[in-house]
Amino acid sequence: MNVQVIYCNHQTAAIQVREKLAFSQSAQLLEAYKDLRDRFPQSEHVVISTCNRIELYSAQERQEDAPTSIEVARFLAEFHQVPVDEFIGDLMTQVGPDAVRHLFEVASSVDSMVLGENQIVNQVKEAYELATQGDANGPLMHALFHRALQASKRVRTETRLSEGRTSIASVAVGDFGKSIFNRFDDKLVLVIGAGEMAAETLQYLKGEGVRRIIICNRSRERADQLALAFGGEVHPYESLDRWLGEADVIVSTTGAGTPIVDPQRFRKAREKSGIKPVFILDLGAPRDFDPLVAEVDDEVYLYDIDDLQATCERNRQTRQKEIEHARRIIDEETVSFMHDVHHMSTGPVVKRLRESWHELSRQELDLLFRKLSHLGDDDRRQIERSIERIVNKLLHPPLETLRDEAREGPPHGLIDALKRLFHIGDDA
Amino acid sequence: MQNVTLFCFFASYLCALALEVVRLLRPSDVCRWIALAFSVAGLVAHTIYLVVRSQSADLPPLLGSTHDWLLVLAWTIVLTHILMNAANRQVASGVFFLPMILVLVGTARYVSDAAETQQGTLYWWKMAHASFLVMGIVGTSLSLPVSAMYLLQHRKLRSKVAAREGVQLFSLESLGRWNWWLVVASVPFLTLGMASGVALSVLSRGTDQAVDLTSWQFLVLGGLWLLMIALFVWVLTARRVSGRIIAWRTAIVCGVLLASLLVLQVFNQGGVHGRTVSTLFEPIRPDPWLPAQSSFLLTLEELGP
Repeated sequence: MNVQVIYCNHQTAAIQVREKLAFSQSAQLLEAYKDLRDRFPQSEHVVISTCNRIELYSAQERQEDAPTSIEVARFLAEFHQVPVDEFIGDLMTQVGPDAVRHLFEVASSVDSMVLGENQIVNQVKEAYELATQGDANGPLMHALFHRALQASKRVRTETRLSEGRTSIASVAVGDFGKSIFNRFDDKLVLVIGAGEMAAETLQYLKGEGVRRIIICNRSRERADQLALAFGGEVHPYESLDRWLGEADVIVSTTGAGTPIVDPQRFRKAREKSGIKPVFILDLGAPRDFDPLVAEVDDEVYLYDIDDLQATCERNRQTRQKEIEHARRIIDEETVSFMHDVHHMSTGPVVKRLRESWHELSRQELDLLFRKLSHLGDDDRRQIERSIERIVNKLLHPPLETLRDEAREGPPHGLIDALKRLFHIGDDA
Repeated sequence: MQNVTLFCFFASYLCALALEVVRLLRPSDVCRWIALAFSVAGLVAHTIYLVVRSQSADLPPLLGSTHDWLLVLAWTIVLTHILMNAANRQVASGVFFLPMILVLVGTARYVSDAAETQQGTLYWWKMAHASFLVMGIVGTSLSLPVSAMYLLQHRKLRSKVAAREGVQLFSLESLGRWNWWLVVASVPFLTLGMASGVALSVLSRGTDQAVDLTSWQFLVLGGLWLLMIALFVWVLTARRVSGRIIAWRTAIVCGVLLASLLVLQVFNQGGVHGRTVSTLFEPIRPDPWLPAQSSFLLTLEELGP
């Protein structure tokens, strides 16, 4: 079995190049598989196409059937109508164990832009399923992708590569918000400003079950858009003080030049509501809340972008520390997979050898039973079993040697020797 | 089963605590499972110990002796700890609960383990009295680690330390709510326990089991109960108070109550029920961890005529 991958990703190619080569829809990819089948009929294919990578995996029985990187580049150029010169320098090729290791790294998120992210596993799974749907893969790719998902699972369970959040909004809600509140469905969320960060944070808050969202923004139009997207209510900016006192969670992203809420304003706003926990996410730069707002009372939990960024960075560092452990697992899985592949190549010879020896023993037994016709069924069964055991014991040492040899690579020498010694035909 | 000693489960809980501490320094699922296994093993041994003692004395553990009563208290907290641990595998609840369990089991070793054999007609009164008190004290005992968790979580969040860093804890909202309920639920039980105790004392007047309601021990317990009542009223009526202040006051009041109770049990054998010399006390079975000669308990035979 030969495996190769020809790819470009966020490390090798700019987004402008990746955009041109990406397969954005399933229908487009199915069409690509049809084209690949026509061009390389002896190969199995799987294409992984995400915003960060376009990778074409191929596997075939004979090395001479493998597509070259030039052929793949030509296919991509013709399929996407992009001149080859624009991307040929960005394409990378890995063959054999390196290609296997690369896939395992991709599936385990070791090769991802955000180390340890979970999305890639599903993307790899979906890519394989789509290739199956497009009749582009077979047993070789099945074995390879099955093992890739297995390696990915091992990395996720045996390392802390996926632990800790790494985006500002997810850290804010997951690491801090959930340490303050047990549930969010009964909480009132106030959004001041309607920027991108507000939308991203609301996405996480909605995921936690938030029902009531109040949006106060100077620009009514953007507030309406945000309210429509997340089912919020838009209130005039002038009513901000009322909502500052009532809200349980405040997300602020105004981008004003100076803080819009100072301790006096906030204390006054909280007078009516009494002392209750309030979780403030000041995502504005410069900050929208004066840092002294945190000192208004014990129940104010104020986090600005730097606080959240610091946690993101620590989480990234924790993941980085796990990368060596993850690579060790991937190496183990690669070696084990390659061993299985090499061992698989000995399958036909082993099968033929077994069949011929057992056939021979069957013939001899028939002769013997004809001569000793007085033997009962029980005696015959005993003799048959003994002969079978002898054949298996004789076969064991050469097959064991073959298996050991397969650890280092395809045991072509031994296979040839077995064929010659035992007159096993080339059709095996 | 007869060979299960106090040391067996004390050691199990100690190992569980050590593993929980290791887990804090180096988070590991293996450590967590082994710690949980030690806690469960301890609970099993603890249960066997109480059952064997109960069968020997032919009394429920609550009425057996102060020793048994403290162990029932500890047993309830162990059970809570295991359930909490099973419900949330990330939270290091053992670090907060196990020290208290060890203190209770350790204290049980130094108090009278002799069972009161004569229960007479007041059996159900005694049962109600002991049960109410145990339930009330379980509540106050649990609110101590819960308050500690609240204060630590509050400090973490105010210092902007994320959930995954350092000790992992429950949310402030959950801890605050549990704390509130523990105080509010334990005070009525303590009140019922005290009231049934007073009634019991009146009913048993003239017998050697009567409690002197003017004794300093009873007055100390009454004072502690009043302290809990004050906390109860304050918790129910306080409006503009932060959760941190509630947690601090709860921790202090419950800590004082528990510490006083244990000190009273150890230094004044049996606490308010203390009878240093009585024919009623006879050791049920010597605790192998506690050599008989080192016991505080003296029987009439040992004292001589």
